Amino acid sequence: MILFAVFLLSLSALSFEVLLTRVFSIGQWNHLSFMVISIALFGFAASGTFLNIIDTRNKGWEKRLSQADPLLAFVILYSLTAIIAYVVLNQIPFDYFRLPLESIQIFYLLMVYLLLALPFFFTGLVVILAYAANPEKTGLVYFSNMSGSAFGAIIPFLFLPLLGEGNLIIFSALVPLLIVPLKTILPEARHPSFIPFLRERRMFFRLLCFSMVIIAGLLVTIGNDTLISVKPSPYKALSQALQLPNTITKETTTGIRGRFDSIDSPYIRFAPGLSLKYTKTLPDTWMVFTDGDSPFYFYTLQPEQNEQFSRFTLCYLGYLLAPNPAHVLIIQRGGGLGIPCALAAKASNITIIEQQPRIAQLVKHHYDIDVTNKNHRTFLRQSDKKFHVIHVENWGSSLPGSSALAQEHLFTSESITAYLHHLSNNGVLIISRKLLLPPADLIRLWAVVYESLISFGIENPEQHIAVLRNWNTYTLMVSAKRLNDTQTIQDFARNLNFDLVYIPGITKEMANRFNIFDSPYHYFEIKRLAEAYRLGTQKTYFDTYLLDVAAQTDNRPFPGRFLKWSKLKTLYQMTGSRFYSLFMSGEVVVAVVFFEAFFVTIFLLVIPLMAISKTDQRPYFSSIIYFLGVGAGFMFIELFFIKKYTFIFGDPVISFAVVLSGILIFSSLGGYASQHLDSRYLRHILVALVAVLILILFGLDSLDKHLLGLSQNLQYTTAFLLLLPPGIIAGFPFPLGMRYLVDRPSHRAYAWAANGCASVLASVGSAQIALSLGITTIIACAAFAYLLACVCIFQNSARV
Amino acid sequence: MKKLTHVLVVIVLFPALLIAESQKDLPEHQAARERMVTSQIKSRGITDKNVLHAMREIPRHHFVPKALASKAYADHPLPIGQGQTISQPYIVALMTESLKLNGNERVLEIGTGSGYQAAILAQVAKDVHTIEIKEKLYKKANQILYSMAFQNIKTHLGDGYFGWIDAAPFDCIMITAAIDHIPPPLLKQLKDGGRLILPLGNPFSYQNLSLVTKQKGDFTVRQITGVLFVPMTGFALDRKQNETNAP
Repeated sequence: MILFAVFLLSLSALSFEVLLTRVFSIGQWNHLSFMVISIALFGFAASGTFLNIIDTRNKGWEKRLSQADPLLAFVILYSLTAIIAYVVLNQIPFDYFRLPLESIQIFYLLMVYLLLALPFFFTGLVVILAYAANPEKTGLVYFSNMSGSAFGAIIPFLFLPLLGEGNLIIFSALVPLLIVPLKTILPEARHPSFIPFLRERRMFFRLLCFSMVIIAGLLVTIGNDTLISVKPSPYKALSQALQLPNTITKETTTGIRGRFDSIDSPYIRFAPGLSLKYTKTLPDTWMVFTDGDSPFYFYTLQPEQNEQFSRFTLCYLGYLLAPNPAHVLIIQRGGGLGIPCALAAKASNITIIEQQPRIAQLVKHHYDIDVTNKNHRTFLRQSDKKFHVIHVENWGSSLPGSSALAQEHLFTSESITAYLHHLSNNGVLIISRKLLLPPADLIRLWAVVYESLISFGIENPEQHIAVLRNWNTYTLMVSAKRLNDTQTIQDFARNLNFDLVYIPGITKEMANRFNIFDSPYHYFEIKRLAEAYRLGTQKTYFDTYLLDVAAQTDNRPFPGRFLKWSKLKTLYQMTGSRFYSLFMSGEVVVAVVFFEAFFVTIFLLVIPLMAISKTDQRPYFSSIIYFLGVGAGFMFIELFFIKKYTFIFGDPVISFAVVLSGILIFSSLGGYASQHLDSRYLRHILVALVAVLILILFGLDSLDKHLLGLSQNLQYTTAFLLLLPPGIIAGFPFPLGMRYLVDRPSHRAYAWAANGCASVLASVGSAQIALSLGITTIIACAAFAYLLACVCIFQNSARV
Repeated sequence: MKKLTHVLVVIVLFPALLIAESQKDLPEHQAARERMVTSQIKSRGITDKNVLHAMREIPRHHFVPKALASKAYADHPLPIGQGQTISQPYIVALMTESLKLNGNERVLEIGTGSGYQAAILAQVAKDVHTIEIKEKLYKKANQILYSMAFQNIKTHLGDGYFGWIDAAPFDCIMITAAIDHIPPPLLKQLKDGGRLILPLGNPFSYQNLSLVTKQKGDFTVRQITGVLFVPMTGFALDRKQNETNAP
């Protein structure tokens, strides 16, 4: 029965964890999902520490606590704390954005942290009890744990669209209670210390369960969901829009790929890059927010009005350079200006690539244009069509820095090269972005385009690039042919009061005329960069520049990331010495969470060692390192594949689903198989795992390209099957280690805690590793972690 | 009938008495204003005598909620309800000075808010037209401005995005809330040679205090200073508060 409890709790806990990442993405910001992962794993780890402390005072806990009464109590406590934690999280005015300004927010943060860790703590208790009470069945316990988690990872994908975040959290929290009626009906296991399950207690547990179900039902139904529906942060664009008068939410749909709110308001106006010379009324607009931010705008177009409006936008210059385009490709992530421009230019054939199925559906319905709902790289890989205009529209998040961790392959050198491959001979690539000061995004994009043009075989790349800006946006254009005559561009800029940042032959006098900064910063930086490329000193330029603006590849695709830790002090001073201004940077969040995780790890792992008085009762150092290595290695594998598959599927959520379910299913099978192996195989398994990881390190990159060319179903199948070798082998080390490397219940609890802590550090650390060193380095870290575990086996050879 | 008259008298007089109470301009308020002008405004480079005079004259504490009157002259913005704020005194002075007013201009203000900025503008310009979108704020500001007997301020409840067509054109326009683009109708209502000042950018992130100048049909946008409007905490942006107050 305890194995079934482990299965149900693992299922519910993982579902809770995935759903919490959704809640944080909507309610707060995406990168705070790291906090959820760390909360969950620390809850697990803390249960190991707790049982170690219990062990110092009370031996035989594994037998007593794994009996019916305490086990049911833990299950009920899990459900209760999960529901309470979520309701409290949803009701308290915790807001990450207000943390540096309001001291009370620190209290809220601690409260959120502790409350949310509790359900994971009770799950961890039951899992450890299963390991400690059944040392001969570690493979089966592992199987129950991992297979339960795999189902838990799938639940949100299936039921989120039907129930929404709040309802599904409540329902999934109740799932483990299924064991209560079963436990009270079925005859108890034949444990020697079996205590009969009294009728009164049976009634008590049933009543408790029944009351919880009733309370949960009330929560779901009372007050029109106000207690459990997720509210976006007041600093998100959706909350801001809803403050406007007569603004209504037309429709809200939710799913694992995001929450989509369609908003109608007479006050919505979206016109990035619009000339100040435009004095007519803007077209009517409504919009859709994804997770309360990243709005996509839909224009209600009247042909004549649209033509006038679009012709006054920055990006329309592309259509002046490539007039009367027959084929236009629009690759969009948010925004929505690209479509009116293409329509105004009377493009005869428009292809739209939209990654989000919901947005794709709405675009198709609203504009009556065919929309391809797939990854842009897959489309480009599979298509041999040439386009006269390719317009990539992506304005980024509404808060600078909040998208620093967002993996986005739209602007990597490989993507730009793919766009160039699909441009016709006189075609133009248009890229529209927000203008940042100090210059950052623009410099990087110019560098990427320059390098891509060189790799494409263009001799004087700078002759093919033009950049114009207004006060807060810029448009970068790449022409397939040389821009010999720049007069059209200069006239366009002059007539519409835009500023030239870069065109072939630009002089200082031509820059910074209408949208005036203290100095033509962007012009100067591009000039310096172009000069650096001419002299071959671009590396020095990138090394010395205040921000990280070097060209990005598919291995390091984070267009919102600019922070250089070595220049942090200078940047802090430049932004007015306000900690607040750096606080929303995803990278800073990762660093803060990592240090917090590091200190909590030390605390959780040192406390039991201090509590154990006799040295001989303490776990072996080599065992501790082994479980730390196995925990970190497993998490590194998961995160590597999630990031790698984000590139292939073009969507982190799909990648997350495929990887999590695949790795958990395969490793649960590995765990099951480990039940029949003896200790001799442990070192062979670890060596095999390291070998497989090294193979992935060197082989998966070339496999990526082939995967892109496959049909969607084949992509999913191949990607899933690729997880089999590492997944199944990674399922052996933990249960085998639990069986052969530790021999006391307290040591098993300690091993669990070490495993949990290492997982936290690896999950948070891998984000920084990907940002600084690239995604491939994560798998190298996994190989290293398992190698370390392997070394520990040799150290511990007497026991294995 | 007599009873009804009594009730009406109480209804009319009671708020008036309250306003009268809050509108006392005591010597300590005047001293606080003097300190504000010296330490917050002059010290940061504001030199326009008319602006400094207006900042000394207008009793800012009349425009903030009674509970916050003691903080009216502090060097930061204050919540005024409806998720809105009264700007920091220095920003009020800076925006006013940037318009380079000589006393003969017709000014349009978008976002009356508390009415304080309109009152300052009324001291340094000929006519001030001010528009507020939120009814509660509009009524409150109207009440205060009326009680202070400003003759050259006209208020209007509506969407400032479209300006004030009947009163256009204007010499100067001031937008007192962060906005992420420049409304085309306002540019149209600006006279040639006119100036428009506004905090341009994400309302809850970095903005640039920007001055738009219209000259012979061309527009130039000059960044005056980079500003980071710290989001108001607690009352001003409390989620429940906003939900309750949502029109």
